[in-house]
Formats: sequence, C-alpha cells, structure tokens
Amino acid sequence: MTDHLTQSTAAAPAALPQPDGSLRCPHCGAEVAAQEAFCEACGGALAPTAAGPVEQPDELAAPIEITRSIQTEADEDTVAVARPCPNCGGAIGADGYCETCGTKAPTERDHYTEQPASWVAACCDRGVRHHRNEDATAVAAEPAPGSRAVLVVCDGVSTSLDSDVASLAAARTARDVLVAHRPAGLGTPASRVAAVAGAIVKAAAAANSAVIDNTAPGSENAASCTFAAVVVEADLVVFGNVGDSRIYWIPDHGPSSEPAELSVDDSVAQARIAMGTPRDEAENGPQAHAITKWLGRDSPDFTPRTGSILVKSPGWLLVCSDGLWNYASEATALQSLIAERSTPNSDPLTLAVALVDWANGKGGKDNVSVALARV
Amino acid sequence: MLIMAEFTAEVYQNEFLPEGGTDVNAIVTVTCSGAGSAGQTGSGDAGEIIIVDTSGSMGRTKLEAAKIAAAAAVDQILDGTWFAVVAGTHQAYLAFPLVRSGRGMVQMDSNARYAAHQAISQFRSDGGTAMGTWLTLAGRLFDSVPMLAQRHAILLTDGENHNETPDQLTNAIRGVTGKFQCDCRGVGVDWQVAEVRRIAQALLGSVDIIPEPDQMSQVFAELMQQSMSRGVADAELRVWTPQGAEVLFVRQVSPTVEDLTSRRVEVNPLTGGYPTGSWGDESRDYHVSVRLAAKGIGQEQLAARVQLAVNDQMVAQALVKAKWSDDEGLTTRINPEVAHYTGQTELAEAIQEGLAAKASGDEETATKKLGRAVQLAAETGNEEATTRLRKVVDIEDSETGTVRLKRAVDKVDEMALDTASTKTTRIRG
Repeated sequence: MTDHLTQSTAAAPAALPQPDGSLRCPHCGAEVAAQEAFCEACGGALAPTAAGPVEQPDELAAPIEITRSIQTEADEDTVAVARPCPNCGGAIGADGYCETCGTKAPTERDHYTEQPASWVAACCDRGVRHHRNEDATAVAAEPAPGSRAVLVVCDGVSTSLDSDVASLAAARTARDVLVAHRPAGLGTPASRVAAVAGAIVKAAAAANSAVIDNTAPGSENAASCTFAAVVVEADLVVFGNVGDSRIYWIPDHGPSSEPAELSVDDSVAQARIAMGTPRDEAENGPQAHAITKWLGRDSPDFTPRTGSILVKSPGWLLVCSDGLWNYASEATALQSLIAERSTPNSDPLTLAVALVDWANGKGGKDNVSVALARV
Repeated sequence: MLIMAEFTAEVYQNEFLPEGGTDVNAIVTVTCSGAGSAGQTGSGDAGEIIIVDTSGSMGRTKLEAAKIAAAAAVDQILDGTWFAVVAGTHQAYLAFPLVRSGRGMVQMDSNARYAAHQAISQFRSDGGTAMGTWLTLAGRLFDSVPMLAQRHAILLTDGENHNETPDQLTNAIRGVTGKFQCDCRGVGVDWQVAEVRRIAQALLGSVDIIPEPDQMSQVFAELMQQSMSRGVADAELRVWTPQGAEVLFVRQVSPTVEDLTSRRVEVNPLTGGYPTGSWGDESRDYHVSVRLAAKGIGQEQLAARVQLAVNDQMVAQALVKAKWSDDEGLTTRINPEVAHYTGQTELAEAIQEGLAAKASGDEETATKKLGRAVQLAAETGNEEATTRLRKVVDIEDSETGTVRLKRAVDKVDEMALDTASTKTTRIRG
C-alpha cells in the first residue's frame, strides 16, 4: 500500500476540497476520501492526502488465510520464464513440478553447470535412474585460455542422507584451497610440481573435513565421497585422486596424440586389474564399484595419489565420475567420443553437457559429472 | 470483515509405481478451521428455506410434529439471515413471508421469527406430493434475493412423489442444481429412499430417516444449527492432472461416499472443478484416482494437484506424486488409507445393491451382496454398519460373509441401513 501511494503521487492530481469539508474527484466530481489513490466512480488516479488504514488492504487482498506457502501467479510466471520444463517446455509451478506435463523440475542440485572462463566448464547431473544427485563438481579458472585452472569432482558414495550435501561441500572446499594456492617464485619444474601436489594433498584433507562437518553426528551411515582434482598451470598439469572418479588427458587426434588415464582408481576393480584380470571383466565383475579409499568420517586414509604431466599438444583435460566412464572406460574410447562431439574450437560447456547427455542416453544408471579444461 | 477460515490439505498414498505402472490412487484430507457463522463473515448473506410436506398423508400427528419441528428450525436461524418457509403438497405454497411479489425472503429478527411461527401454526394437511414444485419454488425464492452468497434448504417429506413423473422431478432437480444445497429428511416409512437420495445428492445435501414424528424437532434444530455453523459459503475441489492423463474418478469418501466424477466442470483444460458446497469446521476426505502414461524407472512426476478453491482463490493444495521404481518392497506396499476407503466405497455399493435386490424379490443376490457388506464392514471396522446390517440379516460368519436374510425385518431398520449406507468411518483417530 505504501508503494502504491508513492507511485501515484507523482502524476495524479489531488482531490478538490469542498466548502463542506468533503473532497471531490478532479476528473468526474464524485465524492472521494482523502486516502484514496483512485476515484471509485470514474477510476481516475488521485494523489492521496491521507494514509489509508494499514491493515485493511492486506485483508482485502487475501480474505482467506493461506496455510500453505503458495506463490502468486506472477511469481510462477517469473520462474517459468527463467526455467521452462525440460520435458515439454511448459511452465514450472511454485511446487517444483511442470504445470503442463507434471514432470518434476530438476532442482539446482539435480543438474547444474559451471563455466568460470571460456576454456573451462563442468556439468553435474542426477542421471536417469537415481532420485538424487550425490555427485558434485567445482571448477575455477583465470580468464586467459590455458593459463590457470582448477577442476574438482567428488562422487558421494554413501546412501546416507547427507551425501549430496557433503560431496558438494567437499568439491567446493577443495577448489577454494587450490585457487588460493600460489607457488612462491618460479622455482624449478620439479619444485613447482611438488608445491602443487602438496596443495592437492591439503585440498583433499580440507575436503575430508568438509564431508565430516556435513555429516550428522549421530548418523550410522556416514557420508563419504571420492575426490579427483586437477590443477592446470600453463603446460603443467598436476592431479590427484581418492576413490574411483577419474582424470583423463585427451589430446586432439594427431601424430603424437596418445590419450591417457592419468588417475588410478582406489577400487576393487583396479586391484583386480593390477593382479592381471582384463579391464572389461574387472570393471563389470562383482564388487567392481566398491572403492578402497574415500573421504569421510570413517575413512582410514584420504591421502590422494598425485602425479603430473607436461602438455605438448592441444587437447582436453577431463575429470569425471563413474557415471560417465561406466559407458567409456578406456582413454581411447573417450578420445573417439570427444572427437565425434567437438572441434578444437568447441565450447567446453557445450561438450560437457553433450557428454552428460550421452551418458544419460546410454541409461544414466548413476549420477554423471564432467569437468573439462581446453589446453 | 475478515474471514479467518484456514484450510489444510494432506495426502496419503503410495507414490511408487512398478515398471509400466500407470494408476495412481491417493486420499486427500481437507480440513477447515475458523469457519465462523453463515452470513457473518463478510463474503455475502446467508439464506435458509424450510420446506415442509403438508400433504394429506401427513395426518394430524405428523403435521403437528412437523409444525413444532419447523418452528424449532426457525429458532436456530441467526438474526440477519434471509429465510422463508414453504408448505408443499401437489403444489408449493410460500407460507412465510406473506408476500406475492418482490423479494420472497425476509431477514430474520424477533418480529419475523414471531410472524413465521404464526404462519407455521396455520399449516393444514391436504392434497398430494410433488417435490419438484417445492424445489422449483425454493429456487425462485433464493433468486429473488441477489445478495445471497450461501443458500441452504431443509426438505421434509413423508411419502412418495405421487403427483409428478420421475422425469418431472429430474427436470426440477436439474433446474435448481447449483442454486442451493438441500438436506432431506423422510419421516416414517412410506417414502422412497432412492427418490429422496436423488434430490439430496444433486443438491450436495444429506438424506436420512426420522422414524418417529416426535424426533423431528430435534433433527430440524440440529440441521439448522449445523448449517448456521458453515461460515465458508462455497468451495470447489480442483484436480489438476498432467496433459494426457485420465482422471479415473474423484470421490468424497468421508464423512460420506459421494462420487463426484460426473460433476466435473472444466476450470482449464488440465483442471476440473467439483462443487463441495459450504464448509464449517470439519474434515473431508477425497479419493482421487489418475491414470498416467508410464515412465522409466527412476523418473518422478506429479500425478495430480488437488486443491480447494474459495472465491476462485486456492486455499489449500496437496500434491499426488508418481515415482517409478524397480524396488518391489516399495511398489507393492498398499497404502492403508486408500485400501480402507476403497473397502468403504464397496460397502456402500453392496448395501444399496443388496437392499435393491431384496426389494425386487431376488433373495439370492440380496444374500450375496449383504453378505459381502457384512464382510467389508467387519474388515474396515465400520461397527455402525455392522449393527445396522445385523437388523436385516442373521450373520453366521462375518469373515466369510455368510448371512441369512431375516424373515421379519422392521421397515425402519431397512431404510435406516439404506440411508446410512454411504456413511464411512475414518481410519485415523
């Protein structure tokens, strides 16, 4: 009501005082009250000369008390314009479901993308068959392509209530630690690698604390998650991981372009591969997805295995959860997949979304996370 | 004035569907509190019409009791409420107010109450029965007072609708449907439950038997009190379903079973409105059944938004959901509320069909249906129904529904079983 008054005062004429003390509308001459912003007879705008009763307009606007939180039509429209239904394009209601087809609108947590710079992006998605997204990505980059970037993926592996919250807290905490890390001086290449690797170890420890902080103290099934992080500093790439989220180097197809899986899983499948079981068999065998290291309250060891490479040709650094690599485990398979869906000039966000869509098209059995840097 | 009424809506369902599953069932409980009194909440005036059968069959005893009952009802009408009294035979007479044109109702005050008592005392028992004409007159009387937001009538009859064809009654009912609500009572055993139920159902009211004339005045006073305590003049149940979905049915299941499916009025292409009449402080349960196109495992969607709207404004909403899962532990779970009311609905049908079969001399069907009713009443813990059934059948085994029709049944008991057949019990305390 107060807004209403101030808006109308500027342009509207005041009511005309009469000898008997009453007021008349300047447009039609009908009697009006001092607090009215519009003439009841002709609807003409008036400049009120007295404030109206404060409570009454609220009562009139909502004659029945609403006990549920319900947004007004206007609010729903605003939401709808911002975010149409991914299934049918309809408007999303205030209750989070499409107003046309009823599809549950993805929440921010169910599906989100990040693009801190033109050359770095991530996409994190609930997938098809899970009711919740327990994956998390967190990326950061300086604007100049190929300068400095941080990519982190955490995959919540527990079914406890807090895994989705914990994994996101872990990924963001680790990212912030790595963004804040600045090598002192130039140093030798070896000392640079050691400094960044040390930062990744610290980042994993901070992420571990974040998971514990986001676990309900009494919960029997403690939240836990994987950890995979990459720091790009020009041609130097330093990485580290805990669990089975992976880091790949995928160079563009060319003469000296051997793609590589940089990380080594902490998983039953990896242990069997190390003992000579073929990869295909190990990754699809019993307990294949059981991991042997993780972050969380009940983690006996959360120190990441770190490594580094010097990048000599253009390509993509990929950090992903098993929601992607379940459908393309070999680095060469990923290289072909990316080659089919990108060019050297491709936008990393478009490619990240395309890879997530591809995994969902293959069944989307798990949450899917893809973080990419073009170097 | 401010209406303080608050509405809440709660949903009870198993939202999990197996692969390929399409049908979603939910019970939605709508509760109103702070309703206030009829005509006193600033949303418009309330109107009451008392319609009394004064046909020749009423005789001296019933007519004198009816006069006391009508006067008792008049005494319960709050000052300021518009009202009228109609005397019905093979024609309808406006007994009060004594006007021949203009507004056919007056506002209650002490003078009007006194004059109405005088008019009621002049009732004479004479002529036949044509309830359609009574309803039509009541509709015209309500129409003569444009400021009414809430319109309610009480109708008393003692006999069959001899002076009208069923079609004439149907047309009269159709002419007033949506104009006012009407609670109907039959005194004695010479009236037809099915005939009067038809009026009550169309006019969103109740039907019941008053076995003895001296019980009338208490029943009338209570009916009027109840109507006066309904401060929310009119509300609409709204059911939104997704594009391509099919509403299998919408039923009120508590306090009584009423199938609302065919009363759907389109609000918009995806939303149907179902009239629910006026509300006091009370809870009503609705069973909504929706058929969807099956989605893949892991998908979730809304099956229905069930809302209550007052003056076109949504005041409560419950969400009915569907989640497809491959977890049999989730998808095979039976929701107790849905199961309970499904049984209660079948109970009402079994009683009505059993009594109809009995009336037409088909003892085999009557025994089968009433036996099933005994079984359902026992299963769903409806002790009132079991007590009423016991007066019509001898129960050998309620678990298997084995019964024998009683040889001598009091007509009152049989009619009471019929009128009460739609009353349900609640699963929750």
